[in-house]
Amino acid sequence: MAVYRRDARRRPVLLIVLFLSLVLVTVDSRGNGLIDSVRRVARDALQPVQSVVDSAFTPLRNAVDGIGGYGAVKDENALLKKRVAELQGRLLRQRAVGSQVGELGKLLDLPTIQDATGVAARVISGAPGNFERTVVINKGTSKGIEVGQPVVAGNGLVGKITQASGTEATVTLVDSPGFGVGVRLENTNERGIAEGRTGEREMRLNFLTKLLPACEKNSSPDTCISQGEVVFTSAVANAAFPPDIPVAKVTGIEKKTGDLESTVSLRPLVNLNDITYVKVLRWPEPTVG
Amino acid sequence: MVIRRVRLVLLVVTLTVLQTTVFTHLRVFGAIPDLCLVATVAVAFEEGPQTGAIFGFASGLFVDLFLATPLGLSALANAGTGYAVGVFQSGFVRESRTMPLVLGFIGGLIGGTIFVIVGGIAGEAGFFSLTSVRVILVAALYDAVVALAVFPFVHWANHDPDRGYSRR
Repeated sequence: MAVYRRDARRRPVLLIVLFLSLVLVTVDSRGNGLIDSVRRVARDALQPVQSVVDSAFTPLRNAVDGIGGYGAVKDENALLKKRVAELQGRLLRQRAVGSQVGELGKLLDLPTIQDATGVAARVISGAPGNFERTVVINKGTSKGIEVGQPVVAGNGLVGKITQASGTEATVTLVDSPGFGVGVRLENTNERGIAEGRTGEREMRLNFLTKLLPACEKNSSPDTCISQGEVVFTSAVANAAFPPDIPVAKVTGIEKKTGDLESTVSLRPLVNLNDITYVKVLRWPEPTVG
Repeated sequence: MVIRRVRLVLLVVTLTVLQTTVFTHLRVFGAIPDLCLVATVAVAFEEGPQTGAIFGFASGLFVDLFLATPLGLSALANAGTGYAVGVFQSGFVRESRTMPLVLGFIGGLIGGTIFVIVGGIAGEAGFFSLTSVRVILVAALYDAVVALAVFPFVHWANHDPDRGYSRR
């Protein structure tokens, strides 16, 4: 039998905590220095404990990953060997072109990714919540890391720093909903914005400066978008990212009847679910936010 | 009373450390459990809505310090969940081994729903989506499973030698 007891004294407590929570959410959503400072202090205070616990559980985690992923690792290894051979060939071909581009860049005084020095960091954990696409790295403001700095891995853009304490920093990943990167297409150089999509690991290429069709058999690659084409960060004034960082590759081009332009899907080049080391770039013109 | 509070504080810190280290590597279908939410449900189950709401607010606020979402969002979700579970529990007196499972799941659903709705209204990108519904459901199931382990710890931490265990 259900007995429901009304207690009017409970309500003020609930109302007070709900009100306080809503005030905090509102204030922090707009950005607040005091809250950021409290966050930094709390993170720095707990970081040594987190580090010890993480180290203690690493062997267990590795064992679980090893058992679960043995087959996948073996396949991946074979695939990687093949890929290395392909890339070595491509690298040799690009060296000749690269030296010419370097010469021209110097002549025009264009900033490039080579101008940006960086801090190498290790990913120490993934997102501690269910509704964010972030990773935490083991370097913070004490190593010169600041909010807004771009983060890259070996083969492309990872994201940017969105929170930083003295000893660690949070990187919001490039495929997060609401995350946008100015990019250019590899073949046509047309610019657009690569945006993360909710619940999907694929991104979408929006706001292209020119409507381009999908490439067909005999199309010239300079006039269309092709599958597998890479998009790079674009060179614009005060950009949040240095130009020419590989971001993603085109995985799908779809034009439905009645649509004005094609829907272009992109997959980040970096496997964002499996990052170990990253580099935080001290980009000359970082944009905070 | 003081010892009980110290133990509850230590419990929240421990669960937060576990959530930000161990459980970030133990995702199931993209979801991880909310350990402090589960602890809030357990406290509300033992102490009723008022204490449940206060403990939820405090534990959620502490977890918020380590999340990228706005401060206060988990505090609001946990406080609301603590209150709701406390009200539900003060009306129904049931003793069952499966109670942590049931309450963990219900608490996960309530907490996740509040978190997404308020976060979406606050302007967090991508909160209002079918993916969020899936994540809430999977996380609630995960919460139910970890509740089996968390409830006994909360029961121990909440024990006050001066007054024994209470349940309203």
